[in-house]
Amino acid sequence: MNSRQYIKLAESLPPRLTKFFARYPPQALLSQSALPSSSTPSTSSTKHPVTGRWHDPVFSLRRQAELVKLARQHGVEELLPYTVKGTEERLRRRAENGLRVKGTGVGQRVKGKESERTLKGRLEKRRQAMLEMPQMIQTWKERGHGRGWKKWPK
Amino acid sequence: MAKKAKSRTIAVRLVSMALTGYYKTLIRPRTHRPLSMLKYDPVVRKKVLFLEQKRGGR
Repeated sequence: MNSRQYIKLAESLPPRLTKFFARYPPQALLSQSALPSSSTPSTSSTKHPVTGRWHDPVFSLRRQAELVKLARQHGVEELLPYTVKGTEERLRRRAENGLRVKGTGVGQRVKGKESERTLKGRLEKRRQAMLEMPQMIQTWKERGHGRGWKKWPK
Repeated sequence: MAKKAKSRTIAVRLVSMALTGYYKTLIRPRTHRPLSMLKYDPVVRKKVLFLEQKRGGR
C-alpha cells in the first residue's frame, strides 16, 4: 500500500480513529515513513518507574473497546496496538474460558449432576429389565406366584 | 425389664422389578411368606412384577 492509499483510507475513517492514529501511528506505517515514533499508549494501569505512583491508562477499557469496535467496522483493526479488547484476544479468552460456565471451553466438558451423568446407564438397565419382564413373570407364575421364589431383591 | 412384644404385622416394601426405583409399601403378617404381585409401575406405564425387598436392620 502506498501513501496515497493511506491518505484515502484516512479520509474514509471517522475523526475519532484518525485522531487516534495521528497520535499513535501504527507500526506498519512508521517503518516506511519518517514520522516521529511515539510509544504505544498504556492500556492498563502502570507504575511510574521513578515516582512509584500508579497512573491510569491513557485509554480506559471502555474507550479501548469503543475504538476497537470502530476500527473493526472500518476494517483497520490490525493497525491498532495490542489491547485486551481486541478481537483476537477476545476469541482466545472465549476458547480458554468458554461462556464463563465451567466446562464450555475448547477441550473441556460440562460435569453435570450425578443424575445427569448416570442417566444413560440407568435407562439402559431399565430397558434390559423390561425386555426380560415377560420371562420373569412367566417363571413367577410357574413357581406358585412367589412360593418357590429364591431371588428376592436386596 | 421385659422386652416389648413384637407386633403381629410388619410393613414391607415391594420394589418394581423394572428397576425404576418405584415401590409400594404393604402390611403383611410377620409369619406370612414374602409378598410378590403384579402391579402397575407408572414409570414404565405397565404392569410389572413387584417383589418384596429383603428386610434387614439398618
